[in-house]
Amino acid sequence: MCGIVGYIGNKQAQPILFDCLTRLEYRGYDSCGIAISGSKLELCKDAYRVGVMAKKTPPHEGVLGVGHTRWATCGEPSMKNAHPHSDCSGSLAVVHNGIISNFKQLKQQLIEEGHNFTSETDSEVIAHLIEKYYKDNLETAVERALDDIIGSYAIVAIKAGEDKLVVARQDSPLVIGVGDHENYVASDVPAVLEHTNRIIYLEEGDIGVITDVDIKIKRKGVYAKLKEHKIAWNIKEAQKAGYEHFMLKEIYEQPRVIRDTLVGYCKEAELISDLELVRDAGIEDLLILACGTSYNAGMVGKYVFEELLKIPVRVEYASEFNYYPHSLAKTMAIVITQSGETADVIHAARRLQATGCRVLAITNVVGSTISRLANQTVYTSAGPEISVASTKSFMAQLVLLYWLVISYSRDDIKRQADMIMEIRQMPQKIQQVLNNKQSIEKCAKYLAGYENVLFIGRGVNYPIALEGALKMKEVSYIHAEGYAAGELKHGPFALLSKDAPVVAVVARDGTFDAVINNIREIKTRGAPVITVAEDENGVVNEISDFVINVPSVDYIFSPLVNTVVLQLLAYYTAKAKGRSIDFPRNLAKSVTVE
Amino acid sequence: MKQAVVLAAGEGNRLRPFTVNKPKAMLAVAGKPILQYVIESLAQNGIREIVLVVGYRREQIFDYIGSGERFGVKIEYINQERQLGTADALMQAREIVDKEFLVLPGDKLIDGVTISEFAHTETNAMLVKKMENPMRDLVVTVDEDVVKQAIRRERRAVSYSREQGVCMVNTGIYAFNSKIFASIEGEQTIPVALNSMLSGGNRLKAVETKGIWLDITYPWDIINLNNTVLRSVEPGMGGTTEDNVSIRGQVSLGENTLVKSNSYIEGPVVIGRGCEIGPNACILPFTSIGDNVVITPFTQIKNSVIGNDVSIGAGSVIQNSVIDRGCVIEDNFGAISGETEIKINDGYHLVNIGAMVGEGCRLESHIVARPGVIIGNYSRIQSLKVISGKLPDKSIVM
Repeated sequence: MCGIVGYIGNKQAQPILFDCLTRLEYRGYDSCGIAISGSKLELCKDAYRVGVMAKKTPPHEGVLGVGHTRWATCGEPSMKNAHPHSDCSGSLAVVHNGIISNFKQLKQQLIEEGHNFTSETDSEVIAHLIEKYYKDNLETAVERALDDIIGSYAIVAIKAGEDKLVVARQDSPLVIGVGDHENYVASDVPAVLEHTNRIIYLEEGDIGVITDVDIKIKRKGVYAKLKEHKIAWNIKEAQKAGYEHFMLKEIYEQPRVIRDTLVGYCKEAELISDLELVRDAGIEDLLILACGTSYNAGMVGKYVFEELLKIPVRVEYASEFNYYPHSLAKTMAIVITQSGETADVIHAARRLQATGCRVLAITNVVGSTISRLANQTVYTSAGPEISVASTKSFMAQLVLLYWLVISYSRDDIKRQADMIMEIRQMPQKIQQVLNNKQSIEKCAKYLAGYENVLFIGRGVNYPIALEGALKMKEVSYIHAEGYAAGELKHGPFALLSKDAPVVAVVARDGTFDAVINNIREIKTRGAPVITVAEDENGVVNEISDFVINVPSVDYIFSPLVNTVVLQLLAYYTAKAKGRSIDFPRNLAKSVTVE
Repeated sequence: MKQAVVLAAGEGNRLRPFTVNKPKAMLAVAGKPILQYVIESLAQNGIREIVLVVGYRREQIFDYIGSGERFGVKIEYINQERQLGTADALMQAREIVDKEFLVLPGDKLIDGVTISEFAHTETNAMLVKKMENPMRDLVVTVDEDVVKQAIRRERRAVSYSREQGVCMVNTGIYAFNSKIFASIEGEQTIPVALNSMLSGGNRLKAVETKGIWLDITYPWDIINLNNTVLRSVEPGMGGTTEDNVSIRGQVSLGENTLVKSNSYIEGPVVIGRGCEIGPNACILPFTSIGDNVVITPFTQIKNSVIGNDVSIGAGSVIQNSVIDRGCVIEDNFGAISGETEIKINDGYHLVNIGAMVGEGCRLESHIVARPGVIIGNYSRIQSLKVISGKLPDKSIVM
């Protein structure tokens, strides 16, 4: 998916285009660009997010322009592959959303006819086709060019010297925003709602010309009578597809994200070749580097690697690692960053590579800085994540880490087969947790009345306690601490009181009895306890004020189900407190400064 | 007409266990939920503005259908807080519909052809269809293209409520204009509201269709639904097949699916993405298999629906059965198909089916399921058992 915009009117186009693009970032954000038609055509594009690009682009005069924000499907994210695309003369700019299925033949033919291509994208052929057919006006050339194209598209084209936007759509969305002496075009209504709420929907096969005062759309060969829709302002929320917040949307996407990740990587036959680096490295020790939520994923990774592969693993905050004088890894490091742009992680990866250590990156963004840097990259198939509080990409990171370990744990074939079967059931198990939202919401409403919450877990669920506390802090602004359950008595016991509830994560593994004892100690000191545990009618119910049941899974995978409970707990607590859930105060999605 | 209101808020409680955790409209065969077939039919007929009324377990609809972009339509969601009936559901859309619009049920299989003429009909019309032995509450009285009674008898809780013989039924598909809201306000279901509208002297046109329209009421109806859909499956090879795999008839394999040596697949069959089939597995006609499914050696599956994330052990035989998502079935499972009588809240039903297995069940090895067994969600059954009858959710058989 990509997002496209166009503007023609009486204001400076550049800030308007960037503003509209920002609102389309949910459609993708690995690179972006704009073209402004002033005295001549100016093109600015690169592999940046819209916010960064807007700052880096020098101001260009002009009241006519197009823009694009991209999520790479054909050609990696880079300056040359970013839109808009231009023709050989540089007087034309086209933005495109869709897929051109016959682009290889078209490109070959155009090259033979002498056209110079600068990108690997399918979209660039549109610009050259328009150039090929251009005689004296843009719309005729566009119409002719589209005749040659097979595939889906929404496009906006401009040409220096012609004061108009030419638009067309086929199987990709495009709407027109009608203004006063100005008009807008965009992939989706929310992009232009800040400027106008009068919308015209284009239909399949429409081709049109838009000036500042006029909109002409050719539909099935004749000019169509256009119907303006007045949009209620609340449709701004449309891209959330029914959900109230992106965070909730992304939490609910997790069963599908796990399934997509498994479908992408888990064909047994290909599993080793995909992760060749791990095998080749002959690892004796392993370093995992990350920040924030990804660090917590790394902590789960440490436990699982040590348990199943029996190799020592260190997990470090990249921000701290950069200031350690020595302690560099010998053979191999895994770095985890959702955005692939986290400055501390990138710095650390460079430092490691300089000492000859190989780096395997786990990231969600194709072509991000870390993927260009790393010896090998594995991608989480989580799709664009908008909510600042990371949920689905954390889940995808965990699933990939598990997969790395499982594919490599060949000592015990029976155990390996069981784990493969079990991880394949995870989408269903997570769905079961989501179906239990009522009881989680009830606990969240209860927690919303407190100012401090402690999260505890042991073993493989200790990092989940950390992650649960992090989510709670991020979105609800309640002070939350994650602790290893056994560490509570070494200090934090002093905090326990009836005003400081404790959320305990209990797994059916070797830590079970120890955690139960920990909870008893907490109860004795008067703190209310919410326990996340498998369904059983015994001791857990006796010692807890609330129990949130999770489906039973192999203990090694219990972090996956437990983390979803804590995500929903944080979300509903924040909702009960009326927080700005998707964009918490003071936080940015990817931290690109050290 | 350019706009449609699709009602997808209902639960379908007679379809339990399959609807305990998903709305009826999200029951899936051949890799697509029922609601997707409805949306695709609308898009085929150029109706791309869709108001989707959701309620029960709506997040699963949000997650799957999203903004509708994938299907070339624009979806606006309206939430029906309590599932009070179709009239109330339609009332929720009052503020956002055009002057004229279609109304369709999101939980019935509707083919594009079925509505191709109706989509351009004048408003105040009902689409009707001749059916054999239909559910009693669907039967309408029609006289020369005019509806006389929109519902003849309301459903009663007890009694086996099928009408005998060929009858004209209400498909739940209507062409309305905004005046309808005055008539349905305060009513529960649309047919009841229409009846009182008709007795007030209003006219409602009846348009008959011969296209595909299928309702499902009971768990085993999913098998009929699957049969109907698979008849028109398009073959496609997204996956890979090892040596000596035989594929006959119309078979669709999803991306990253691997069919191992000596397996035999006879269409119509749809297999989803990321599956592992075989070696030596036998998938026989009218079988739908979801994504991320494992089917191990010497297993035979015929005329059945297998959901996402299911694993089926070696040497199993599954016929005329529905296995919902996330089940783990160990080796040598036998779902025997045969005639049996099943009681579901409104009466006894004589059917010829295998096993109906709810989601997330774990069946250990060597289990035999008698015909018509219904296993509730998340049940666990220990090995070497013969199971029969109806097991509630979370049953443990040891």
